[in-house]
Order: sequence, then C-alpha cells, then structure tokens
Amino acid sequence: MLRYNFKYESILLFRSKWIQVLIGILIMLFGFATYNGQQKTQKRKADIEKVTAEIRTSDQNMLKLLDSVEHGLTVTARPWTIPNTPMAVGNYHPRVASKPPSELSFLATGQSDMFTHFVKPTVRGDDLALNFSEMTSPVQLLFGSFDLAFVIIFLLPLLIIAFSYDVLSSERESGSLRLLAAQPILLYKWLMQKLALRFFWLAAITTATVLLVFLANQVPVSNNFSAILSFLGISLTYVLFWFALAFAVNLWAESSAKNAVALLGLWVVFVLLIPSILNQLGSTLYPIPSRALMVNEMRTIKAEATERQDVILDNYLRNHPEYAVNDTTQERSFWHSYMASQNLIKKELEPVLSKYENQLQKQQQLLDHFTWLSPAILVQRSMNQLADNGSESYEGYRNRVIVFAGEWRDHFLPMLYNNQAFSSEDYGQLPEFTYTPINNQSQSSVLVILLCSGLVVLGVGALRFYVSSDEKHSII
Amino acid sequence: MIITNNLTKKYGDFTALDHLELRVKEGEIYCLLGANGAGKTTTINLLLGFIQPSSGSAFINQLDVQENLLETKRFLAYIPENLMLYPSLSAVENLDYFSGIGGKNLNKTQLEEFLEEAGLQSDAFHKRISSFSKGMRQKVGIAIALAKDAKVLLLDEPTSGLDPKASNEFGHLLQKLRAKGVATLMATHDLFRAKEVATHIGIMKDGQLKQQFVADAISLSQLEKAYLDTMEYKTIAS
Repeated sequence: MLRYNFKYESILLFRSKWIQVLIGILIMLFGFATYNGQQKTQKRKADIEKVTAEIRTSDQNMLKLLDSVEHGLTVTARPWTIPNTPMAVGNYHPRVASKPPSELSFLATGQSDMFTHFVKPTVRGDDLALNFSEMTSPVQLLFGSFDLAFVIIFLLPLLIIAFSYDVLSSERESGSLRLLAAQPILLYKWLMQKLALRFFWLAAITTATVLLVFLANQVPVSNNFSAILSFLGISLTYVLFWFALAFAVNLWAESSAKNAVALLGLWVVFVLLIPSILNQLGSTLYPIPSRALMVNEMRTIKAEATERQDVILDNYLRNHPEYAVNDTTQERSFWHSYMASQNLIKKELEPVLSKYENQLQKQQQLLDHFTWLSPAILVQRSMNQLADNGSESYEGYRNRVIVFAGEWRDHFLPMLYNNQAFSSEDYGQLPEFTYTPINNQSQSSVLVILLCSGLVVLGVGALRFYVSSDEKHSII
Repeated sequence: MIITNNLTKKYGDFTALDHLELRVKEGEIYCLLGANGAGKTTTINLLLGFIQPSSGSAFINQLDVQENLLETKRFLAYIPENLMLYPSLSAVENLDYFSGIGGKNLNKTQLEEFLEEAGLQSDAFHKRISSFSKGMRQKVGIAIALAKDAKVLLLDEPTSGLDPKASNEFGHLLQKLRAKGVATLMATHDLFRAKEVATHIGIMKDGQLKQQFVADAISLSQLEKAYLDTMEYKTIAS
C-alpha cells in the first residue's frame, strides 16, 4: 500500500494548483524572512564596526595628544580630556564591549532587537543597569520579528493545516472513502501513510529551502554543523507535531469545515493563547515596579552620596589604603571623591535594581516551568538559543560587560589614587573586552518533548478506532 | 458466496435490518428492491464490515465478515451510488491505485485491458476522471472489480442517474461478470433494470425481506404489482 500511496499521493499533490501555490508561498516566506533576518544582522555588524572604528580613531588621536604632552608641547584640547590623566582615558577613551552576531543570528532575532549590542563602559559609568534592565516581559520578547523562526513557528503550522485538514474528510465528502474502505486495507494505516507522505514532502521542501538559505548566507557548515542539524531537527519535529495534530483532528472531527476550525483553534491555543496567558500570568504574579520610580530612586541615592562625598572619600581610603600606597602628593580632586562615592552608590542601588531583576527572573522561571505547554514557545526558545539571541545569551553578555566595566574601573583606580599620570606606555596595558558566546545547550530535550507531544496526539487520534461500532461507521 | 444468517442491525429502538436471511450463489445476480430506508444500504454496509451487526452473521466466500474483515474484502468489489474516484488522476491511474492498495500489481497493458473489458473507450484511458460522466466512472469501478478478480460484487444504486444507454451498458457488464461466476448483490429502485439483469429479486420493507423471486419466473408487471403490494401503495388505476 505504501508504494501506491507514495506514488499517487505525490502525483495528486503536485497536480494540485492549491498545493503548488502553498509551496510557492512557503519558499517566498522563507526567502523574505531570511532577507529580513540578514538585514538586521548586517545592521548590527555595521553598528559594531562603526563604533569600533570610532574608538580606533579616538585612540590614534589620544596617542598623538599623549605624544605631544610627553614631549612638552602645548595641546589645545579641553584640560579634562587630555589623556595624561587616568580619568580622561577611562572616561573619554573607553573600549567597545560588543556582542557580535553569530553566524546563525539571522535565523531568529530573539531578544537582539530589544537589547543593545555594544556598550562603552567608562570609569564614571553608572548607567549599565539602565542599559540592560529592559522592563519587558520575557514572553513578549520571545516573539515579534519576521525572521525564519517566525515563519517556522507561526506560519508553517498554517500551511500544514491547509495541507492536511481535509485528508480524510474530503474523501468522506466526495464518497471515495467508502470505496477505499472496501479495499483490504486498514483505514488508520492508510491515513497515517497519507499524512506521513505529506509530511515527507513538506519536510523535504523545508529542509531543501533551509539548506539553500544556509548556502546563500555562506554559513560555514563545518563550524555550525551541530547547530544546523539541531535547527533542522527542531523544525521538522515541530512540523511532525502539527501533522500528528492533523491526524487526530481528521479522525475525530466529521467534516472538512469542522477540521479546519478545530485545527485553527488549536493553532490559536498553542501559538497565541498559551504564550499570551503565560505572559499575563507572569505580569500578574510578579509585577515589575515602575521604571520611572527606579530612576527617581537612583537619582536620590546619587544626590545624597554627592553631598557626603568628602566623608565618603575619607572612609573609602581608610578601607582601601592599597589604592594610595604610592601617593606622596596627597592631592584630592573631584574624581577622587566621585569614584569613592560610586562604590557606595553601587551598594545602595543594589536592592533597588535587584527588585526589578528578581521580578523579571521570576517571570522567566514561570515561563521555564510551563514551556512544555506550548510547542511554539519551546521551539522559539531553542531557535533563539541556536542563533545566540536568546535571553540566556543576553544575560551572559550583560554579566560579562559588568565584569569588564569593573576591570576597566579597577585598572584606573590605583593610578587615580596614587596621582599617577597615564603615559603612552600604559596604552598597551588597557583591558580589552572579549565576547564568548555561551555554549548552546543540548536541544535533545526539546526534541524529546516535541516527539512525546506528537505521540500523545497520535495516540488520541488512534483511540478513535477503539470506540463503538456506530462511531466507527461515522469514520466512513 | 454471500450468506446472511438472521442478520440484524438496530440503532437504539430503531431496527434498520431485521433477521435477514439471504443467499447469493456463484454466478447469481440478486437485486434488492425497496423504498428508501428499507434496509438495502444497511445490508451492504454490514457485508462490507462498515458497521457491526446487532445480531446474526454475514459470510462472504464462507468467511465471517466480522471475524475476517480484511480477508473478506479481498474477495469483494463495491460500487457505490456515486463512484467518486480521484478527479485529477486518469482512469488508468485510478485503476492502478485502487488495485495496488488492494495488493494487485498490474502493468500498464493489464490495466488497459481491464478498462477495455469494462467497456471504457480507449481514448479515455489516460484522461482525467474529472472529465468523465457517471457512466464512465461506473465502468472504471467495474474495471476495479475485474482487476481485483472479485468473487463478490456489491452494488448500491449503481444505475441511478445513468441515462438508458449507459444503464443498458452497465447491465451488459454485469452479465459479463455473472458469466465469470461473480456473485452480485445489487440494491436498486429500478424494477425494470432489476428484472432485466437479475437472477433473483428480493423486496425489502422496514428492514425485512418481504418477498423473494426467481427473476425468470416472474414478469415485469407481476414484479411491479408485488412491489406495490409489499409497499402497500395503490396503483393509479385502482
């Protein structure tokens, strides 16, 4: 039966104008989504390159100025920007801490359009928290851009529904099901084969298109082999889940219209409703305090600290004698007090910031617990991870930047408190930021959950054959 | 070939088929006459195993239908009232598909021979079914039965909607199959066609087989009268 089903199902599919149009639409959607994803990635690359070039030029100017100062020449720059003081270098010649897009970044925009891809931490900088603490729900961040992940998660199921909603019912409605049922075949096997063949062709088209997309984007296959395999595996298992759903609905519903409504309803539930409910649940259970209040609170703490700068500096130096161990001048400027108070401000701000972060984390944890409820969330998170644009990835980048900002500040503090000048020889010692993408977690658990869901759905469909004989009659 | 013993089908309190006793032997054409709801299609559905009997049993080629659901289907062919094949496949392709899933692998020449034997014009062999008339589709249905080498043929209102010529051709095809020893059970409203093609005729009402005749032993007018009497209809003359 399989041979004949395969042969004639393929002929029927390729002779159907409706299917041809659907396949055309699918390929166009893949093309457009890739173009869109690629544009965003290019823009991100260009932004990072631009800012890196600016820093390079600024460094060259700084070295020229330093050279002039070191040779006793008069320079025309504003005094506080002349790079012979550590604070001038630390503030006006920062490094770029960037998160370059991965080679697969175009697959899923994920959080990349919500967060910044580069920052320039300065020694006076205190706004890192604001730069990174996006007051947006992780669920909302999950969905959005028209990229390959969006096409696969949102639109591909609709094509599958169009592909499969009437596999059984159209045969029943046209009367050919009775003729088929009169053959020595098991109807559920016949239906499974028919859907499996449709899955096969859609999977083949999806795989070929995705591989073409990788080729067109010149993605080095050897470097990304496992990621590409994971992407294909997750996409195809997701497609399989929707075909399993179509199988069950075809068996339980009676007419093509009912099938279509049921499948579209399930699409709304899995793709829109569950993520939306989880989002709402997250914001209701763990509401995020007002951003304006947070900024206000930060400003108050800073203002109070500024008033107490001298006391703070004395205490600071008493607690950190190592910073001024080589200082013989005992000169104290604005920066000495400012940097001492920064530390205190940071400590006082910690509970304010953690309030926000804790709530966001709790929302994220809630989502983690219920991810399995919607294959759409599951797949989106995996694809974000593969594209290195997931929340874990940005959290990793944020933490790395915070560490680097500390390194940058700590590099200049001893120079500041020892009243030591910055020389061109010190330039080579400046800390540099390096970004290492977090290792992609294994996607096998996602595949297992999707496969299990698919099997459960298939089981529900197969149950149809074990109900009473009168029910059985209605299948035919 | 076809045997039913006290075959009964109930839907709740409603009895669709009531203790049907039927025998159709090799080379016989048995026509079941009756109004809508008389139990003709229920009988065919039970013989096809589409529904389970409430009591009694049905046998095809000496095999109990319920116990040998797939096996009995190897021996039978079925042509419904509206034979809907795959419209975007040709006659040859449809025949190949239905024979193939039934386990018969036939080459192109064999397929064309069966279509020719079923009376389909050769220029229609490779045309899509969507352009076929009902009569032509019925011929493809007969070709499927021929290709399957069916021992039993079940027909549900096969001539309704056919023009007299096509209906006549269909009658001839049934005679061909009869000559090959096929046992045919045909549910129909068409008394004239039944009298013409059948070897045996049964009249059903309210799920019961009320009367049975040997077709040669009764004239068309006698058959008509028996039918109307069974249905308790009054003729225009009376």
